[in-house]
This record gives sequence, structure tokens and C-alpha cells, in this order.
Amino acid sequence: MAEVSAGKVARLAVLFERYHRALFRYFVSMNGDREQAEDLVQEVFFRMLRYRTSYDPAQSFTAWMYQIARNAGVDQVRKRGSAQVVDIDTFVDRRAELVSTSPGPEESASRGQDLALLRRAMDQLPEDKREILVLSRFQGMKHEDIAEVLGCEVGTVKVRVYRAIRALEQIYFALEKEKAS
Amino acid sequence: MLGGGEGKDFAEHLASCESCRNEVSRIGTLWQSLDLLPLEEPGGRVRERFYEMLGAYRQGVASAEPRHAFHWWQMAAAAGLVAAGLGIGYAVRGNMQPPAEVSQLREEVANMRQLVALSLMQQQSASDRLRGVSWAYRAEPSDREVLGALVSAVNHDANVNVRLAAVDALRRFSASPETGRAALQSLSKQTTPMVQVALIDLLVDLKDPEAAPELRRLSGNETANEGVRQRAQWALERLQ
Repeated sequence: MAEVSAGKVARLAVLFERYHRALFRYFVSMNGDREQAEDLVQEVFFRMLRYRTSYDPAQSFTAWMYQIARNAGVDQVRKRGSAQVVDIDTFVDRRAELVSTSPGPEESASRGQDLALLRRAMDQLPEDKREILVLSRFQGMKHEDIAEVLGCEVGTVKVRVYRAIRALEQIYFALEKEKAS
Repeated sequence: MLGGGEGKDFAEHLASCESCRNEVSRIGTLWQSLDLLPLEEPGGRVRERFYEMLGAYRQGVASAEPRHAFHWWQMAAAAGLVAAGLGIGYAVRGNMQPPAEVSQLREEVANMRQLVALSLMQQQSASDRLRGVSWAYRAEPSDREVLGALVSAVNHDANVNVRLAAVDALRRFSASPETGRAALQSLSKQTTPMVQVALIDLLVDLKDPEAAPELRRLSGNETANEGVRQRAQWALERLQ
């Protein structure tokens, strides 16, 4: 990014190839909309280009990128009026298709349902808790970088991750009970 | 997550507290389960739109709207149509020079292909580097940067499939004398028999007479793979 900042804008392509999938997954996890996620990926790289001179090489690139991503996401929500409602049935169907191989059809179906429940539980998490789980678990970001993105202390990040996973657990087990009854 | 002192205190507490142990076990299981959720993959349009946007930005269109950019192939097709139409017009008027705007569009398309190929060939994932090599087929045969990247891939890539694909892609640059020289230099250093055979075949296709001494050395090298020695002998006969 330092090279892009210095004027070698073509080098942004290297960053694109390295990070666009992770960014896409971040946006899909946050808003559940693939098309919107693709638009937002474009928007993030466009803003990186436009604001490249504001990048500080002393700062973590990942943290800077996700700060831009969060702002782009917020702007998108403002433009569209409200967050999109996720179609839960679509999610469940897609997740059942995508479950990896397992020994038997019954186990596979059961595992698929567990994953579907887990996905539903993630979707029902409040946005701030879902975001911190996505950044720490799915994006694999260091706590220091997450703290920079969220503008808080590292200790706060750890506490928030813990609270998020606790909340996920509660929602997941509530959904399991609902399914069983 | 916890540092030395905190970690020790935590472990000591867990040893004496069943309810905390249960909680850690449940949360740990849930945390691991998150790994099983399938990963979403973006569609192919994401890459095309990015490179269109980057190309337009480089041309100085700072207000390019990413969502409405054309596909690169649409630009190439448009450039082709414009070139054909203008070419007819100029032929009628007796002037066969293509206009500057068309040349500029062609150059922009070529630049984008080069960007894609070079960027992908630098990625950590072997499948991305393979995709980069496949994009190299679309680069201009005179593109020395892409040629250089392919030669580097043949000589240094850790993945044998990428090296093989790069050897094949070098055929696109057969008109350049550098290609034959690079293939010959690489042959003298390669140790993977499949790549050696691929390079030998390339040198035969290039009809490179300079390759004869190296091929002779290889065919007589008793420590070389038997298949490679036979291929080198066959290549010598073809080049005579």
C-alpha cells in the first residue's frame, strides 16, 4: 500500500488479489447480500485509491482497510434506508448444499442442520457482536488490529469477543430447543 | 489470548471450578464449529469490475463510477468495431493510418491484461498463480514484463504445475529471442523431469539451434532421468 500511496497505483491490483475474497466474506457476513457485498468490495478499493495519500505506512494495512470497509458499509446502509432483511430460508438451503462430505447421509443431513442453525444464530446476533466475531474468527485479525478498527482498547476487544460468543451460544441453543420441540 | 501470568491464574482456576470448565468446553466447541461454516466466494464480475475501474482511474478518470464500468471484453469489442469502421472510412479516403483514440483503447486493454497476469503471478496461492499464467496468454507477444514474470515462474515457482504452465505460456512469446535463451538457461538448472521435458519440447518448437550443445550434454548425462535423456536425444534429431 505504501507503493500505491507513492503513486504506483497499479500495485493496488496485488492488494486486490490478496484481500478481495476476505472483504467480500466480511460484507456478506454483515449484510447477507452477495450483490451488495460485491458492490461494497468495489467501493472499498475505489476509496483506497482515492484516499491513498492518507495511508500511513506505520499503521496496519488490514486495520486501515477494514476501517474503510466499515465506513463504506455504513454509507451503503444510509443510502438504502435500512439494513436488508436476510432471507433465512435461502441461507438454510444454501448452507445445506454447501456442507462438506461426511460418512453417511443421516450424519450429513444432521450436520447440515447444525450448520444451518449456527448460521441462523450468527444472523440473529446483534450487528456489533456479529462484526467482532467476523473480524476475529473469520477474518483472523489480531486483537490489536481489531482495536484500531473499532477505536477501542485491546482488552475491550477481548471482552467483546467473549460476550459475542456467549450471545451466539445462547441464541444457538435456543434455536436448537425450538427445533426439538 | 491470555498472557503468561493471567494464563496461569486461569488454568489454576479451571482446575478447581467445574462450571467454568464446562463453559470453556462449550464455548470452545462452538468456536471450533464456526470453522465449519462454508466460505462465500465472490463472483467473477468482481475481478473484471476492479480492473476496469483501475484502468479507468489510471487514465485519469477520477470520477469513474465502478458500478457502471464496461466489461474489458466489451471495451475490446467496441475498440474492434470502432477500428473496423474507421478503417473502412480511411480506406475509402485512401488513408490507412488508425486514429489515435483506437490505438489508445487497444493499449489500455493490453495494459489491463498485463496487470491481471502480473498481479496474479505474485500471489501466495498456487491456484492464483496458475490463473495468472493463463492470463499471460492474453498479453501482447511483445510484453517483456509478462515474459520476464513467466521466466521467473519457470525458474523459481515452488509449484511444479505453475512451472509447467509457465513453460507452455512461453510459446506466446516465441517471436522474442529472449524466450529461447531463457528456456535454454532454465533447462540447464531444472531438476524436475516433467519440466525438463516441457522445456525440451519448447526448444524444438522454437527451432532453436543454440539448444544443441545443452541437449547433447543432457542426452549423455548418465545421472539424468532416462525419459529426459531420451527426449533430449529425440530433440537433437529434430533440430538437425
